[in-house]
Amino acid sequence: MESSYIALIVTLVIWLGLFLYLLRLDGRIKKLEQRSR
Amino acid sequence: MTGMWWKILAGVVMAGVIVASFVTPAPQQQIGEASRIFYYHIPQAWVSVLAFTMSMVFSIRYLRSKSPIEDDRAAAAAGLGLVFCFMATVTGAIFAKETWGSYWNWDPRETTVFVLLLIYAAYLALRNAVEDEEKRAALSAVYSIFAFATVPLLIFIIPRIMPSLHPSDSIVDANFKFQMDGIVALILSGSVIMFTVLFLWMFNLSCRTRSLVRKQYEEDF
Repeated sequence: MESSYIALIVTLVIWLGLFLYLLRLDGRIKKLEQRSR
Repeated sequence: MTGMWWKILAGVVMAGVIVASFVTPAPQQQIGEASRIFYYHIPQAWVSVLAFTMSMVFSIRYLRSKSPIEDDRAAAAAGLGLVFCFMATVTGAIFAKETWGSYWNWDPRETTVFVLLLIYAAYLALRNAVEDEEKRAALSAVYSIFAFATVPLLIFIIPRIMPSLHPSDSIVDANFKFQMDGIVALILSGSVIMFTVLFLWMFNLSCRTRSLVRKQYEEDF
């Protein structure tokens, strides 16, 4: 059961990292789109 | 801030699905804790099939319209399909190690998914090998349509007609009777929806990036 909680934390950290990366990427693309208009 | 709310909502709901997948009882008690990977493996496999289907549809649309936007969409969908297919393979291998004692057994399901990975990796290699934009788009579109013809065969038909270690009755049994408990079905449905949203978001980002690169290229030349 303890290993399940470790796996939960690892999965949440991976998801948080991916989510923040995608949000930042989205923001950068939006800026570039506005600049290229 | 426009369009931001659904991304935040997706982030929170996905986190909720992750927590639920670990704190509720394991979906298959006889397999134990390893069966929790089922909440990730099935949605990843579903998204890869969706992505390959979208790549085929956009390829047909490219051949009809010759619009580079359709080619970009087909390439983005195939690339992401390959990523999700690879993740489904990795999660499947972890499950195989826990249940059958080895990461890779050359089981019919593992062999067919390996062939599928090679087919779509070759699609990306083909795109990188042709310099002329129109020729690349046309060749890739035709290749993508033929590549998709193998998807039902490799994912649904061959693994079912050959004896396999892979569970085939996790969702429905041989009589198409639903097999899952309420909470398991709820978490799996949530996971499938959230992986689909994640894929569509990544697909959107990939298409927009390709469009920016194309614009920059046209301005330079």
